[in-house]
Amino acid sequence: MEIIRAERVHYNYYNRFPAVIDVSLDINKGEKFAIIGSNGSGKSTLLQILTGLLFPSQGSVFFHTYELSEKSLKEKDFLRFFREKVGFVFQDSDIQLFCPTVLDELLFGPLQLGLKKNEALERANEIMQMLKIENLKDRPSYMLSGGEKKRVAIGSVLTMNPEVLLLDEPTSGLDPKTQVFLLELILALNEAGKTIVISTHDLSLVDELQARVAVLSEEHRIEKIGSTEEILKDEDLLLRVNLIHEHVHYHGQTAHTHIHSHYLFHKH
Amino acid sequence: MKNDIPLFLLNTPSSLPLKGGGGKINLSYIDKGIESFAGVLKEGYTQWELAAKKGFFHDLDNRIKVVFWLFFIIIISLKKELLPELGIFFTVFTLVVLSRVNLVKFYKKIFFLGFFFGFLIALPSALNVISHGKVLIPVITLSKAYDFWVYHIPEVIGFTGEGISVVTMLTLRVLNSLSVSFLILYTTPFPEIIKALKVLKVPDTFLIIISLAYKYIFIFARIVTDMYLAKKSRVVGAVNRVEARNWVAGRIAFLFKKTQLKCDDVFKAMIGRGFSGEIKLYRYQKITGRDWVSGFFLLTVGVLFLWV
Repeated sequence: MEIIRAERVHYNYYNRFPAVIDVSLDINKGEKFAIIGSNGSGKSTLLQILTGLLFPSQGSVFFHTYELSEKSLKEKDFLRFFREKVGFVFQDSDIQLFCPTVLDELLFGPLQLGLKKNEALERANEIMQMLKIENLKDRPSYMLSGGEKKRVAIGSVLTMNPEVLLLDEPTSGLDPKTQVFLLELILALNEAGKTIVISTHDLSLVDELQARVAVLSEEHRIEKIGSTEEILKDEDLLLRVNLIHEHVHYHGQTAHTHIHSHYLFHKH
Repeated sequence: MKNDIPLFLLNTPSSLPLKGGGGKINLSYIDKGIESFAGVLKEGYTQWELAAKKGFFHDLDNRIKVVFWLFFIIIISLKKELLPELGIFFTVFTLVVLSRVNLVKFYKKIFFLGFFFGFLIALPSALNVISHGKVLIPVITLSKAYDFWVYHIPEVIGFTGEGISVVTMLTLRVLNSLSVSFLILYTTPFPEIIKALKVLKVPDTFLIIISLAYKYIFIFARIVTDMYLAKKSRVVGAVNRVEARNWVAGRIAFLFKKTQLKCDDVFKAMIGRGFSGEIKLYRYQKITGRDWVSGFFLLTVGVLFLWV
């Protein structure tokens, strides 16, 4: 069952610089979906369009059967319906954390939804336990490390129990241990029934997730949508969109050229 | 990890079906304020794009432009008659036309700012309560004149001829100063203005403060708009004024902290790249014959206005 649909979406920054051109895609309920592309290809912009934070200059986006527009998101009922079902985790956790302490951050969403204080607190405690951040409860966000901030940012969205979770470059800038923790969390949440949408240029993350993948080109268009296997095997495509590159190095006196990805293709 | 998932996350998220008819959310003053911040960003790009175009003033050497700007600002402040000020207004208008700057956008901004910072501020001084003279436009007639301490309130309060001419003069000066300054801003990329000021021996400390402040406005505007988007993604209904104010207060504290950290980082980055308190520029382009001719022409026009 289709949960998000984008139809021929275009978006320009400052009415000048194209960020997304003619993008159409469908995301099904309960699936894992990854939007991949090189830097500046428009992944984050597209994610923000799918979550109703930016509005396309052309084309439409639908959540279930309802169109996401500036007008529809100004209607109280629809805003509540949409925001409680769709959670978005920003790439920069700093901008997402705006409450005085970690606990306030986790309580913000459920209290917005009208949950009773004790119920909201229970949710916050459970999430802190799951994310192993109980010791950070009373700390302000600027006193957290990068990995801790990311956990709190995800926690602040999870306490709202969204149906769809969109994560912008979730593993960027995190140490390997936190990356593995996040990956396991994403997989567990998906198994719990959440629809997961991520944007990334990390091919290893895509491989681990085994998601359906949409590839954005440097010209801001969808190049291909397919299974992880289908996309990661397509070396020409990955070369074309600049996600892997040709690499020259020497074995003794012999120059050796091969396709290089920091994760996948390193065949000699 | 799977076993750690709290039970509430396994439940269907919402039991509320979409009903509709709950009314609309009005744009709060916070939203409007943030929209203006986004406007700052857009304006920055527009300035950069406009300044990169081709036109009479765009092609002129930046040092000549900056000297022209300083020279004309001095002339505008020195002149005490309406005619030369009007002459300067039309000269700048001609330069704007020659530089192919969008006239409507340009003068919309000039007149808007000129109205507030020139006309409105100076208007009360045209009343006979402040400037003496013959009342041309009466506003209020009192039963009698009043005197207290050093003040005299005449029976008829109104705008005097002398007052009106002073207000006109002041408004024209503001309009002229704005149009000369905006002409430079619309035709010169900001870093080039800084470079030209450096060549003209403006102190480095002053230039560093201006350039960092200019750059910081954009960083600040971007952080604020991003934070607003992050908040928007987690707000499910209308936010009342108290909550909005609390959010703004909290964010100001956060931005202050972030600014402090960013400031330290920027300075470390400057030191790390060999900064020792002095701005060093690579060789400046030579002034061409065309620049000298245009510069001489502008100088002559300026001297003529000084003379008149």
